[in-house]
Amino acid sequence: MIKETMTSKERVEAAIKLEPYDRVPVAPLMDVMFPSRHKGMTVAYGISHWKEGLQAIVDIFDEVGGWDAMILPGYSLALTPKVASGVMASMGTRGYKFPGQDAAVSENSQPQYEERERLTVDNYDEIIKYGWSGFAERNRERYTSFPPEQIIAWAKKQTEHYAREGETWAQKGVPSLCGAIVESPLMFLSTKRSLTSFTMDLHRIPDKVEAVMDALVDDLITDTIEAARLTGIPGVMLVLERGGCFYYPLKIFERFEFPYMKKMVEAFAAEGLITVMHFDQDWTLNLPYLKELPEKICIAELDSTTDIFKAKEILKGHMCIAGDVPASLSAIGTPEDMEAYCKKLIDVVGDGGGFILSSGCTIPANAKFENFKTMIDTAKSYLPAR
Amino acid sequence: MSELADAIAELNEDEAKRLVREKIDAGVEPLSIVDECREGMDIVGGRYKNKEYFLSELIVSGEIFKEAMAVVEPLLKGGKQAESLSKMVLGTVKGDIHNIGKDIVGTLLTAAGFEVYDLGIDIAPSIFVDKLVETGAPILGMSGLLTPSFESMKETVKAVEEAGLRDKVKIIVGGGIVTEQVGKYVGADAFTSDGPEGVEICKKFARETK
Ligand code: B12
Repeated sequence: MIKETMTSKERVEAAIKLEPYDRVPVAPLMDVMFPSRHKGMTVAYGISHWKEGLQAIVDIFDEVGGWDAMILPGYSLALTPKVASGVMASMGTRGYKFPGQDAAVSENSQPQYEERERLTVDNYDEIIKYGWSGFAERNRERYTSFPPEQIIAWAKKQTEHYAREGETWAQKGVPSLCGAIVESPLMFLSTKRSLTSFTMDLHRIPDKVEAVMDALVDDLITDTIEAARLTGIPGVMLVLERGGCFYYPLKIFERFEFPYMKKMVEAFAAEGLITVMHFDQDWTLNLPYLKELPEKICIAELDSTTDIFKAKEILKGHMCIAGDVPASLSAIGTPEDMEAYCKKLIDVVGDGGGFILSSGCTIPANAKFENFKTMIDTAKSYLPAR
Repeated sequence: MSELADAIAELNEDEAKRLVREKIDAGVEPLSIVDECREGMDIVGGRYKNKEYFLSELIVSGEIFKEAMAVVEPLLKGGKQAESLSKMVLGTVKGDIHNIGKDIVGTLLTAAGFEVYDLGIDIAPSIFVDKLVETGAPILGMSGLLTPSFESMKETVKAVEEAGLRDKVKIIVGGGIVTEQVGKYVGADAFTSDGPEGVEICKKFARETK
């Protein structure tokens, strides 16, 4: 093991600010699925039992001797006590309905996935006119059977849970990076319209889509800042997947994704919030644009489909990178493969600072414990020869 | 290149629709309209391969193609039938609900001339087998995006074997994390993580199983 001269918090902050650290910090993106399975609970049980689920994550943390940060502190939602937040949650950030979130879903059920268009083209004008919050309030009954007071009470409870998850980690000396989660307008619309319908909207009615995004973005920013304030964790996860070069040519990115991404990140930075840019899928061609974002206050969190080595070349001296142990390596690789890959990341991406070793997206439910432990251990024991 | 093929290749939806109408009104054989649309889709596939086009252009052209077919297909009934390249069964395997890639590849396959039986998501081995038996399709395409899906793929291949169909059915697996190693592990004949490449492989299968 490397002799440590910094606390986890100092180490992670150094990585974000591109300052020297005693060793590369390690912070997996951990939800409750892998810990539940490891503890012999069903995933559904872990998801629907907040205390036990959180405890399962804490147990894994202790078993591997700890890591440096929680990117997200747990799995509650950080929401503002507003009807619009409840409506957004019940539309599902990524298409899930979480247990207990809707009267129709029982407390014990698995998260249910619904691939349907939760927004239609006809809704666009209403969003343009009333903004996201206004639209959500006017259309509440379409998305949830709960009355307004109950939605607000539920949102408050989620946020309290979120804050308590953060406190649980803070007591262990582990910072949580994101106090709220938000999608870019493109991601927001794509997931709620469906990939195909939204792609056709971009093709057929680009000006209208742009107007919708303009109407959405301020509400998204305001609510996110408010949610982070309520949870007391000074950071935001910006969820990005659909806007990158895997899906769209740069001309789409330049008009419909980047300006909004920039506006959001700048607004968060102005409030002193860091942004973890959660990049699912391949964004390699989009990386140069990230140099136009505020420096030393964002993390480009990559999922193993973006070329992380290229990212290092491009973002060096500007932005911290986190990632990108492939899910398949955690699930079907060997500890030797894992060690070799982590060492390579530490050598190349960790060179000169600005790197947090992490999983590419979440640790998969069927990850092997030995592999996971190897990832954590490698960060703590491997000092590159420089 | 015909005007219609060009309109599709250029993703010009209104023009493509107008041309289809015009041709129908002029009494052009519906089948040759279908062929022109396919030609357009081929060009899109080529541009995607050359990295001139992205996934979004595959999606848009696929939708334009579907719209054109919605108009032309009813006219094919009774008249000269479009000859399908081959029947094919498609689905996302048991335990996996990712459908976006499967749907896109399904559209591309249809556009290429396959008669696709898309079973949907979370499909058990026995359901794949039943559909193969029912349709006599000589190609099976399985989609999977999760590592546990490799087991479901393997089980499905085994079920096809047990049904005595393995030598009659070509099997391809696809999805973002599918590699050569995965293809071998599950016992498939081919693998891909790229839609248009998958279509090319299926075309080859169609020739081999004719
Ligand atoms: C969108 C997405 C989701 C959506 C799915 C929405 C939907 N309706 O499909 C939601 C949010 C529901 C979801 C859920 C989950 N997901 Co998910 N998801 C993704 C994501 C970000 C993109 C997948 C996608 O749509 N790609 C776009 C399409 C167009 O690409 P494609 O599928 O590769 O398809 C192309 C080719 O592969 C090919 N193709 C595809 N199929 C076939 C079939 C044939 C026959 C042929 C010829 C070709 C072919 O053609 C397509 C066009 O080129 C990936 C990340 C990634 N980098 O892939 C994770 C990912 C696949 N998900 C993952 C996980 C873990 C999950 C969850 C378990 C929860 C979680 N922690 O996120 C659940 C599982 C639910 C379940 N039981 O299936 C992991 C899988 C890890 C692993 N190795 O097991 C990934 C890799 C993310 C990660 N790194 O953690 N997910």
